Amino acid sequence: MPIQPAHVHLSLVVSHDRRAASDGDLARALIAGEGWAMAETWRRFAPMVLMMAKRTLGSQSEAEDIGQEVFQRLFRKAKALREPDSLRSFIYAFTIRALQTELRRKKLRGWLHLDHPAVWSGQGWGTLDVESRDLLRKFHALLERLAPRDRLVFILRRVESMTLEEIAATMGISESTVKRSMRRAANRLSGWIGADPDLAGLCDTERWVR
Amino acid sequence: MTTTCEDPEGSRALTLLTERYRDGAEPPSPAELDRGLDTLLAQAPGKERRPGLARWSLVGASVALAALAVLGIASGYRTRLPAPEPSTLTYEIHGGSAIEGGYLRESGHAGVQVIFNEGSTFALTTGTRGRIRTVDRKGAHVAIEHGTASFRVTHGGGRRWLVDAGPFLVTVKGTVFTVSWEPLRERFELRLRRGSVVVSGPVSAGEMALRAGQRLVVNLAKAETVITEESPEPANGEAAGASVQRDTPAPVPQPPRVPGQPTGAVPSLAPVPATVAKSALDHRWSADVARGHWDRILRDVERVGVEEILGRASSDDLFALADAARYRRRPDLARAALLAERQRFPDSPRELDAIYLLGRVEESRQSGTARAVAWYDKYLIRAPTGPFAGEALGRKMTLTDKLEGPARARPIAADYLRRFPKGNYAGSARELMRAP
Repeated sequence: MPIQPAHVHLSLVVSHDRRAASDGDLARALIAGEGWAMAETWRRFAPMVLMMAKRTLGSQSEAEDIGQEVFQRLFRKAKALREPDSLRSFIYAFTIRALQTELRRKKLRGWLHLDHPAVWSGQGWGTLDVESRDLLRKFHALLERLAPRDRLVFILRRVESMTLEEIAATMGISESTVKRSMRRAANRLSGWIGADPDLAGLCDTERWVR
Repeated sequence: MTTTCEDPEGSRALTLLTERYRDGAEPPSPAELDRGLDTLLAQAPGKERRPGLARWSLVGASVALAALAVLGIASGYRTRLPAPEPSTLTYEIHGGSAIEGGYLRESGHAGVQVIFNEGSTFALTTGTRGRIRTVDRKGAHVAIEHGTASFRVTHGGGRRWLVDAGPFLVTVKGTVFTVSWEPLRERFELRLRRGSVVVSGPVSAGEMALRAGQRLVVNLAKAETVITEESPEPANGEAAGASVQRDTPAPVPQPPRVPGQPTGAVPSLAPVPATVAKSALDHRWSADVARGHWDRILRDVERVGVEEILGRASSDDLFALADAARYRRRPDLARAALLAERQRFPDSPRELDAIYLLGRVEESRQSGTARAVAWYDKYLIRAPTGPFAGEALGRKMTLTDKLEGPARARPIAADYLRRFPKGNYAGSARELMRAP
C-alpha cells in the first residue's frame, strides 16, 4: 500500500497554546484553513453572538439559528478578511447585519400574515416568577411593536451598551440617524409603558428596584 | 435606593425593564455550545460553494439576481437562506386520533403511531398519554404526560424537536430514542440509541448532553440521577428502524400501504384532523398575546359574548383570554376563563397551570386571599415538583403570614428553604425564620 505524503499545514500561529492565540492569530489561522481555528473561533465568540441574538430577538431558538448563520458565513468568507486583527469587529458586524435582516424579515412576514409571533416564553432567562415573566413578556411585546431599525438600535444601545459611534459604524448609518432612532424607540416604549398600569407601576415593586 | 417614576415618559420604568431583560438572559451553557459547534461543523462542508459556480455568465448571473430579488421580496427580504425554508410539517396518525388540545387517543390496544411527512415518526405505547403541542415549519413539540414513547427523528431541514416528559425537556435534532415518564414514581428514563440529545429538568447537574448508547434514569423522589452505557445503535437507517421496532415495549403499528405507492415510502398524508388544527380565532389570539394586543382579545370577547367564548373556545384560546384579562386587570374574567379551562379540559396537563394561575388571580381580587391559599395547596398536592411548585409554596407562605401571622407561616418557610434554598422567596423565608 503506497504511503500517502503527510499534509503538514504551515501554521501562522506561533503560540503553543491555541486558546491563548490572539484574535489576529486566530483570524490568520482561519484564513489558512486550519481545522482547530473554527472550533476556537466558535468557543471564543459564540457566547457573545448568541447572547446578543437572544436579547435582540427574545428567543433562544432563533438566537441559535442566527449563531449558525453568522459562523457559517464567517467561515465561508474568512479568506476575505483583510484586517485579521479586527476579527471581533468583523463578527460583531456580521451578527448585527444578520439580526437586522431577521428583524425586517419577521416584521414583513407579520404584515403579510405569513408569520405569527410566538409569545415570549422566558426560556433562557433564568428562573422567573410569574410576575416577572408577565412583565418581561409585556416588555417583549412592546419591543415587537417597534420598527426593526429602532428596535435594533435600542437593544444595541441600552442592552448591549454600545456607543452611538459603534452602532452607526456597524449598521452603516449616520450617528444622527442612530440618535433619532434611539429617541423614537425610547419615546414610544416609554409611552406604551406609561399606558400600562402594571408596567408604569414597576417602581413600586420592591423586588424590581435594587 | 430611592427611586421615582416621576421621570417624564416613564423612563425609569423603561430602565428597570431593560436592565431586567438584559440581566435575566442566561449565557449559553457548555452543552448548548457543544451542540452548536457540532451542528456547525456538520454543516460546514455542505455549505462550501463549488468553484464552478463562480464562473457564471453575465446573463446567468443577472437572471439569478432577478430571481433572488423576487424571492427576497416574497420572503420578506430573507437573505439568510442558503437552503430553502423548510415546509410546514404535516402528520398522519395510526392506531388512534387527535382530540382537543392535541391529545392522542388510542383506538385499539396497540399504541398510537404518528408519521411526519419529512420521515420522522414517534409511537406511544399502549396506555401512554401524550399530546402534540405544536407542529410547524420549525419542528414539532410533543409532550408525554405519562407512559413511554419511542422517537425516530430525521435529521435535517434545520428543524427543532422538543419532547416534554413530565418536568423534563428533551431537545433533539436527529436521533432515535425512547423516553418515559412515570408521574406517580416521579421517574424519568431516556434510552438514546442514535444521535445526541440534551435533557433539561429538575436535576442538580442542570442540562445533560447524552450521546448514543447512554441511558439516563432520574428518580426525583429518591433524588437519584444515573447514566449508564449501553450498546449504541449502528448509524444505518434500516438497522435503526428495525431496532426501534424490536426494542419498543409494545408493538408499534405500521402505516398502512397505499395502493400504487412503493413499500416503505411515507403514504400521502391526509389533512391534519380538524380537532388539532387551530381555529382562526385561536391563531390570532396567540399572535395578539405575543404582540401585546390584549385589548383586541377583550373586544373580541365582548363582541362574541363571554358565555359563548367560555363554552366553545379551545384550551389555547382560554389561556390567551386569561392572560389578556390578567394583564388588563380584569380578574373576574381571568378567573372565569381559567375555571372554564379546568371544567372543559379536565385531563389537560395545562389544568395544573390553570390551578396555579387561579391562585394568582384570587390574590388580585378583593378578599380572595384565603381562596388563593386553597388554590396553591391544590397545586402543591397535584404537582409537588411542578414548574410552579416553588412559586406556589412561596406565595402560600407570604399569604399565610399576612392572614394568620408568622407563627403559622414559619413551618411553610422551613419547608420552602428545605426544598428551594435558592428560590425567589428564600430571603423572605429566612426573615420569617428569624422573626420573633
